[in-house]
Amino acid sequence: MLKIAKDKLPELLQAWAGGAKVFVPQDKGGVSVFLPWEGQGNLTLGEGNTLEPPKDLFFPRTETMYRYQVQGKEASLIEVPSLEEKRVLVGVRSCDARSLLLMDDVFLTRGYVDEFYRQRRENTRVVALACTAASPTCFCTAFGIDPGRAEGVDVQMWPVAGGYLLEGVTEAGRELLGQGSSLLAEAGAENIPAAAKPGLAVETSGVTEKLQRMFEHPYWTAVSRKCLGCGACTYLCPTCHCFDIQGENRGNSGYKFRCWDSCMFSEYTRMAGGHNPRPSKKERLRNRFLHKLQYFPERYGKFACVGCGRCLDRCPVNVDITRVIREVKEVTL
Amino acid sequence: MANEARVNPLVPRTGRIIKIVDETPDVKTFHITTDSGKPFTPLPGQLAMLSLLDVGEAMFSITSQGPEHLELAIKRVGMLTDALHEAEEGQTVGIRGPYGNGFPVEELKGKDLLFIGGGIGLAPVRSLINYCIEHRQDYGHLWIIYGARSPADLCFKDDLFNNWPKVENCRVDVTVDRGDAGWQGHEGFVPAFVEELHPDPAGKVAITCGPPIMIKFVLQSMEKLGYKDDQIITTLEMRMKCGIGKCGRCNLGSCYVCLDGPVFTLAQLKQLPNEY
Amino acid sequence: MSSIQEQMRARARELLTRGEVKMVIGWEKGTFWYLSPPAFITEPEDCDRLVWDEFCTNNLAKYLLDYKFTEDKIALFVKGCDSRGIIRLLQDNQIDREKVYLIGIKCPGVRDGRQAAALGEERRSEAPLAEKCRYCTHPEPVIFDELLQDEGGAAIREAQATPEGRFAEVARLEAMSPDERYAFWTGEYDRCLRCYACRNICPACNCRECIFDRSQSGWCGKQMQRSENMFFAITRAMHVAGRCIECGECERVCPEGIPIMALNKKIIKDLNELFGEYEAGVDLEARPPLGQYKLDDPEEFH
Repeated sequence: MLKIAKDKLPELLQAWAGGAKVFVPQDKGGVSVFLPWEGQGNLTLGEGNTLEPPKDLFFPRTETMYRYQVQGKEASLIEVPSLEEKRVLVGVRSCDARSLLLMDDVFLTRGYVDEFYRQRRENTRVVALACTAASPTCFCTAFGIDPGRAEGVDVQMWPVAGGYLLEGVTEAGRELLGQGSSLLAEAGAENIPAAAKPGLAVETSGVTEKLQRMFEHPYWTAVSRKCLGCGACTYLCPTCHCFDIQGENRGNSGYKFRCWDSCMFSEYTRMAGGHNPRPSKKERLRNRFLHKLQYFPERYGKFACVGCGRCLDRCPVNVDITRVIREVKEVTL
Repeated sequence: MANEARVNPLVPRTGRIIKIVDETPDVKTFHITTDSGKPFTPLPGQLAMLSLLDVGEAMFSITSQGPEHLELAIKRVGMLTDALHEAEEGQTVGIRGPYGNGFPVEELKGKDLLFIGGGIGLAPVRSLINYCIEHRQDYGHLWIIYGARSPADLCFKDDLFNNWPKVENCRVDVTVDRGDAGWQGHEGFVPAFVEELHPDPAGKVAITCGPPIMIKFVLQSMEKLGYKDDQIITTLEMRMKCGIGKCGRCNLGSCYVCLDGPVFTLAQLKQLPNEY
Repeated sequence: MSSIQEQMRARARELLTRGEVKMVIGWEKGTFWYLSPPAFITEPEDCDRLVWDEFCTNNLAKYLLDYKFTEDKIALFVKGCDSRGIIRLLQDNQIDREKVYLIGIKCPGVRDGRQAAALGEERRSEAPLAEKCRYCTHPEPVIFDELLQDEGGAAIREAQATPEGRFAEVARLEAMSPDERYAFWTGEYDRCLRCYACRNICPACNCRECIFDRSQSGWCGKQMQRSENMFFAITRAMHVAGRCIECGECERVCPEGIPIMALNKKIIKDLNELFGEYEAGVDLEARPPLGQYKLDDPEEFH
């Protein structure tokens, strides 16, 4: 166990920045977001979670997949260079660390590996930051997440008086800490602070099995009435991973890109002939909740919610997944 | 670099349209190959993602294949298919695949097969019919019941009226919703035609594909004729983008149609949400 | 006289019990004390869910479009801004006046839920007025079938609407150089997630099909990047030009906190200067400046 003084942290970030691009929560126009560390900045490690999850760093809002040139009947395709940039992502909370493992299931398993995601993921070291205070909208423990220790990360950090404790979890993590050895002092593990107690609690056991019997239930009509059908929940969700593939054409050349998409939008499932299997917000909202709580557990054996509370915090009409779980369990069939 | 050895499943290869066959006023079959031969060797019922690089990309069923090419029968319904219908032989295309599970050709061995198709819905079924003809000794009696809106809308006329009727132990029945002056055959909708022909369910598996409304009534007819849910196979169409079970949109419950489908038995479909 | 909340519940119960309406749309308590999201009541026994407090912010008018194709009559509670949303929908021929029963509330102004949350419940009374209420010119409903009576008589409001205050942010932006203004707006809209919450809550955004739901049409691509985001921002703002009722909901619902109302108010200010003072969604008969045609128009049409 190592310790760093709070005022030395920028120096550690700077040391890491020598061999990689470092991303760390910083203030931007009053909100906390993961931004590249460029020697100075207003770190927001002490202010709860970032407004946006770090998924954009692995699965960008928009990314070019390949370019092409067309000349009459001839066309050629140019692949984008592979992504070699090394990165260190600092200040990831336990909920978001779990979300990376869930995205790994989606993008790296079941027969196909998504190369764009894999390259970014393999080139990124993750430094987690334990939560000692929680927001009212937090409920990570409902999904078995420990706010005091993240899964699948390279380094674990804990905020303590005057600084941070650090523990290298993987070989790569210990190597990172080695880069800052002059800034770090030995410390005792007994100083690890108690983990935060999330603001919300919800019991998730049995909800998947209940939902399996509720597809046609009128509950979905009732719960979807206030939904605006916007995509805020899906775009702020650390585990939502839907994307669209489209092209941008200029004269004889262009490129194909993929960008985030949302199952809350009408266009998402609408087919070329006009038929839409999910014609209204009832079907779309139902799909979103079933995906988190039934379909993903059926396919990957895990809930696709990490209890970060971003959807609940930013939903304009207070659609609340913890309330949905509770109500679903109370529905009589 | 290690990455160069990896294939990016979302990036197509370039291929070429080497032949275009007019099937009906709004369906054409495109023969596609690449500089190194057939783009890939699909199982019957599998899918291909086809693109015109400057227009768009969409998933199509592969209707047949030769030693050096794939055949995709495509109906004109939107922007990409409009552009494909305007394309000429020699046009470069992007192609990736094969995707999906395909028909369960092993499990179907030894069975009598009943194919029920409507309109462009014969496209995926044709890949299986041709496969069964190639492996004729592995399958029992083949019975093809097919219909379209009008005689002009019948796809694969050469197969329907010349090739398939000549195959040993194979029967072909064709109907049209409305005939024209030259039409000598049956008139009427496919589901009613199926009931009229009353194929006995014993030892049979039925494979059906067509417009959703036809499928709905065909399934009712099959039930009347005594077919069990696991004796009926259909293939679904959904909006797809990635083809590899990542982008999310073609899900039916926890299944992705692009990966776990598009071929399902009716018994399997009844276990899935009715969202197709 | 009973409180507004008691009157709300009583009237909703009466209307549903007598079968005069099929549904009542109001507000209920949400997950936290600082949230009072929309409530949809169809059973008389559920009417006690309805609340009236300083967090009943949500403009309810837009929900009527979800029931456009039913024959059912719906009752809706309307604050001043909600009622202006109703005028908006009526002027745009989106709803049938006979199918809506409007219960007016004189609004004392609602509080900013996010700032209230930051203060904490013990300091609830200190929560500032919501931005949209600070320059509100119509706290009392402009259209209603009945008006609930509050104890104090006239609506209590902390800040009086003043034209200067209403357009203060616009003036600040106008004073910038073009480069500064470009940097300001691109900085804001670079964060835009294109979630379309601003569009979906807006009573003036009532197209049956929005071009932003038709990416294949080629008007606007789905890339989340500066040029496409700005195209969305400007198109949305221009589309509600002369029709924005200043309910401020677009800005409230934005998950990224983009100051959307500054854009809307800039257009309102320009329209006022170009075509004379006009307030959208106040008078059913007064046509929006960009929605009318005069034979003696001084400009030629090309």
